[in-house]
Amino acid sequence: MKFKAFLTENGVNLLEKRFLPALDKMGKICHLYLTRDHTMFLHNLLSGNEVQSIAQFRKEALFDDYRISSQNEDRIAFAVDISLLHRAIRSSVSICTEFGNGPTQNRLQIKLVKKLPPNCTQPMPFLTFETKGYKSAVIQDVPISKPLSRAEVLELQTALDMAQDLPQTLVQIQDLNQLQNFVDRMKHVGDLLNVSISKYGDLYVQISTTLITLGAEFQKLLVIGEQVDAPAEDRHLSAQTRSARAILRGDAQSVQVSVKHFAKSLQCHLAKPDCAFYGIAPQGACLTVIFQFFIPGSHQTDKSISLHCRLPVLDPGSS
Amino acid sequence: MSSSAAEPEAPDLVCQLDNVQGMVDALTAVRWKRLQDAIVELSEHGVVFIVEETGCLQAKVYLQRELFIRYEYGAQGRPRFGVSLGLLVDCLNTFSVPGRSTMIEIRYPGPDMQLLLKSVDSLDACIYAEVRTRIPDTISWDYNFEPAGSTPLSFTVKSAALKEAIDDLEWPGSSIQIMLQPVPPSVTFKGEGHGDLQIDFMYYVNTDLLTAFSCDRQVSYRYKYKFLRATTSNIPSSVIKDNRGSKVTMGRGGMLKVQHLVSVARTSVSHPHIDSAGYQQPSRIAYIEFFVKPEEDEDAVND
Repeated sequence: MKFKAFLTENGVNLLEKRFLPALDKMGKICHLYLTRDHTMFLHNLLSGNEVQSIAQFRKEALFDDYRISSQNEDRIAFAVDISLLHRAIRSSVSICTEFGNGPTQNRLQIKLVKKLPPNCTQPMPFLTFETKGYKSAVIQDVPISKPLSRAEVLELQTALDMAQDLPQTLVQIQDLNQLQNFVDRMKHVGDLLNVSISKYGDLYVQISTTLITLGAEFQKLLVIGEQVDAPAEDRHLSAQTRSARAILRGDAQSVQVSVKHFAKSLQCHLAKPDCAFYGIAPQGACLTVIFQFFIPGSHQTDKSISLHCRLPVLDPGSS
Repeated sequence: MSSSAAEPEAPDLVCQLDNVQGMVDALTAVRWKRLQDAIVELSEHGVVFIVEETGCLQAKVYLQRELFIRYEYGAQGRPRFGVSLGLLVDCLNTFSVPGRSTMIEIRYPGPDMQLLLKSVDSLDACIYAEVRTRIPDTISWDYNFEPAGSTPLSFTVKSAALKEAIDDLEWPGSSIQIMLQPVPPSVTFKGEGHGDLQIDFMYYVNTDLLTAFSCDRQVSYRYKYKFLRATTSNIPSSVIKDNRGSKVTMGRGGMLKVQHLVSVARTSVSHPHIDSAGYQQPSRIAYIEFFVKPEEDEDAVND
């Protein structure tokens, strides 16, 4: 089992400034899953009650000189503490910027190694970061779990495959800040959030308790997938009535999720996505949030990066 | 839910406010604990929130009709209802977008006697809320604040200084004596407990601090620290920043009245003509009043 690669400058930027801060909010520990073409950071894929997040990079987005080999079709997976990974990359960056004179001079190498730590009799696996400065080289060892067995990798891959199903209707939220602001304040009022998404391009988020109903309606959002024109007679109704009627007509789906989970998934804006899509998976299995990244300076999706979250549903609600 | 099915009679109140944050600030000032109920009283003059605690402390927030950009009052008499203050503040806070004035509409009653709120300034995004109300408790004691004599016993002090003084008195704690005396004109706060602490505001020494003073005889009463603290502990930062005066008056029997002014003007970005001295139209001010009853065993202290 071997893995060795050089992080590109772009890769360092993506991880250090954007993805690791975002992924750190999703949970301390994640699985790092490496294949011949992709690097993936997977949160909670093997447990059902937490927010699942799947960040996937084509190897070119992060690395050059990427070498991987294992007896399991060149697939390697292990658990790693995101904050340690983040710290290692951050300090490597500071070494590079302190001594560096160009990106090619300072190459940040990542390698999977087995080492015998002090006071131990068993060698332990590490992800080693090696930075060559002007006069010095710094090596940082980030402890990782034992690499997953063939069966465990298969389990992870199966969970990953299952997590790829797309909702029939997705609505686009461009102003994630606005939504986050709202949800952060809403958190004080209740714990359960009803989310409803219609084929007209409406998104409703609402908290209902015995004492209060508090919600927001976002209308005329861009729709991807199944789409229907909003009935004109609904225009002057209240938001709640409109949502209820859309569900009755079968034009909308609604699920209940935890406000905490919803707020957590919004932390992904730290990865600086260009917009987000919300959708409800078939049969109300989960609430899916897909973050979209553009190729810098364009409005074309950057296909080498993908990030999406799946929020467990507490009450399947109506479909 | 088909709220539109049966058109209800004209509501008691429909009003619109263009600065939610001002209302949040004003109501936060009287929120001295997490779970707290308020009684709301509607009239043609405005909306009053009344909060009280164990018959010793009462606070009122006056939102006059002039604060609202629209105020349609259609009720007979003065309808009253109870509402959870904490929940209402958290809810209003959700409407408030940082760096922007949000316009909301408040309507009462809804089909199930709820208080209805919704944002009205954005076409494609709307925030809405229904807050359950209840039949109000009777107010346990009436705060008939009567002047103590022909000359009022009162002083006006910078809000920040008042808050600071009361915060400092936390250390001796429990019971705080407030004394006003005409010669030399001064106000004294004195705490005795785990130690003694005395804070004097001298009228002639520092006119910046004590901006007004009226007193014709020495008077002194004791107040429970926790009630005194409630009068300034949640004063909104905007009041401290504006640093207007807070007026403190002692009424008959030592009833203490503390008044603050909270600005409910739109954020200054949209009103650049408000001059730098912080002048705002008087109509854009919410009035907050606290009434604190003195401790009972006071006869010995007063001459």
